Amino acid sequence: MDGLLDVEAAAELCALVDSAGPGSDPLLIDLSECTGFETVALAMLVQALMEARNRGADVTTTGAQAELASRIESLTRDAADYRKPAKPGGFRHGMIQIGEKVDSMLMTLKGLAVFASGTFRAVARIRTNPRLLRVRQTLYYMEQAGVDAVPIIAILCWLLGVVLGFQAGYQLKNFAAETFMPDLIAYSMTWEIGPLLAAVMVAGRSGSAFAAELGTMKVRQETDALTVMGMDIWSYLVTPKMLALMVVMPFLVLLADFFGLLGGLLIGGWYLDMPAHVYISRLALVVIPMDIWWGMLKSLVYAVIISNIGCYMGMRVRGGAAEVGRATTSAVVTSIFLVIVADAIISLIFVFIRPTVTV
Amino acid sequence: MSAGGVLMETVRLTGGYEGRKVLDNVSMKVHMGEILVIVGRSGCGKSTLMNHLLGLVKPWSGEVLFEGADIWSDSAALARARRRWGVLFQSGALLGSLTLIENVMLPLEEFTDLSPAFRMSVAMDSLGKVGLDRFADAYPLEVSGGMQKRAGLARAMSLDPDVLFFDEPSAGLDPVTSAGLDDLILTINRLSGTTMVIVTHELPSIFAISDRVVMLDSSTHGIIAEGTAEQLRDSNDDDRVEAFFRRRAPGDDGGQDVS
Repeated sequence: MDGLLDVEAAAELCALVDSAGPGSDPLLIDLSECTGFETVALAMLVQALMEARNRGADVTTTGAQAELASRIESLTRDAADYRKPAKPGGFRHGMIQIGEKVDSMLMTLKGLAVFASGTFRAVARIRTNPRLLRVRQTLYYMEQAGVDAVPIIAILCWLLGVVLGFQAGYQLKNFAAETFMPDLIAYSMTWEIGPLLAAVMVAGRSGSAFAAELGTMKVRQETDALTVMGMDIWSYLVTPKMLALMVVMPFLVLLADFFGLLGGLLIGGWYLDMPAHVYISRLALVVIPMDIWWGMLKSLVYAVIISNIGCYMGMRVRGGAAEVGRATTSAVVTSIFLVIVADAIISLIFVFIRPTVTV
Repeated sequence: MSAGGVLMETVRLTGGYEGRKVLDNVSMKVHMGEILVIVGRSGCGKSTLMNHLLGLVKPWSGEVLFEGADIWSDSAALARARRRWGVLFQSGALLGSLTLIENVMLPLEEFTDLSPAFRMSVAMDSLGKVGLDRFADAYPLEVSGGMQKRAGLARAMSLDPDVLFFDEPSAGLDPVTSAGLDDLILTINRLSGTTMVIVTHELPSIFAISDRVVMLDSSTHGIIAEGTAEQLRDSNDDDRVEAFFRRRAPGDDGGQDVS
């Protein structure tokens, strides 16, 4: 060949080389007139030459200038040395992976505990330095996490009340026990569904937003800037979020309870022909104040969990935008997981301390 | 600005990230009132050194002394030092949710008892110094990169710091804006005597603003040359230093002068 070894020239040479087989005449490619080469074109030629040699064909090159000859040699060597990366598998690999996941989870929990202790220390510092209570930021997050969440929590809990009421009524009707439908709605909404659904919604809306906000600030060096300014970044970035959630969460739970019960009222009237006053008087009989305030009380624990996890995941972001996305996802998943764990423990305590109501 | 006594120093500083050593036994001094420029090729540890100096990344060993107190063993010394520092990060690091004026007012709100009216007045003055008083109500994303850096500088200067740190102030700026920022740095240094520690690898900036230059290199994880920019360019036998200041690949005879 002569001139530049580009992709077109290489394709022609490759076609020639591909036609060579074990029994065919020896093929000699003269590269002495080759004035230059493109790397991909040369790789195509070398690949074709190696494949032909593997088939048993007699193909060789000759006359290549020093640089070209050196590149052919290095490409041939690298291709021969290439080993496909071993696909990990097997029992041992599986066990290592499980171990790594468990280790990573324990490290996350440890880091979270250290972070939360930092948050509480920052709250304690407010007592000695009231200036660290960032009222403006706290009000801002109360609006974001509380007021803005009202419509979605109200609608979802109302719908859930309707569904729950319908399913309970459908089953209870078989036993002519539909009058107990309000009991079921009341207990499930106030004990579990109201607080838990409010927590899940807040984790999804605000926990993720906290992680994204702080993660982006980390990436843009804004947290470093606050640190070197000598500012208390806990009180500036973390405690307003936690305090805001601690204020709004109990009210969101109250709202969730109310709309859930309202859903039950609707289905009671429509599906079970239960007058509103019967439904309400039944609720008044079975629900004790403790059912309501216990749910509100446990939402304080959820608020601490969600805000600390959101902030922790955001603050540990290293790198770029992809890390922020991962932190956001982790914040939601970990928050919901730990909220449910906390809920299981708190519910167990509740069952033991709640006085029995005889109707 | 003529340099005074030692304000800050590192003593046998060794550090890096996650087991990867970046700096090894780095000892250097920052004198009062000088403009010290830390230079070196990409990956030589300039920003790491800056992070150790600023108390952001803990060194593996060694000391960072500010007025004789080790900021890494005495958290009160670090807190005191930070009140007297201003930092301009590579990106400006302005808080995206605040306007330029709110960003500049932030340290004033935090560390002074000035009334809102006076905070506003001081912040406007700082923004005026960097030529951004007309953009006070703009958000960082609404202004150019150079303006973000100038606003970052206004915020860094708002409490009249004794030391100003700059991490690659010219990065990503066009030559004219970059020269304007260099002039601003010189003006601040000449007028207020503020000590400046600047990390950069922009040759024109190095020659324009530095009183003294410290050069780091990744091969030794430490300082390979120290002196004025002209000394390092003209009378240094080290091929790495000469290559950097004459803007050529090491071992290459060509290159070009930048001064």
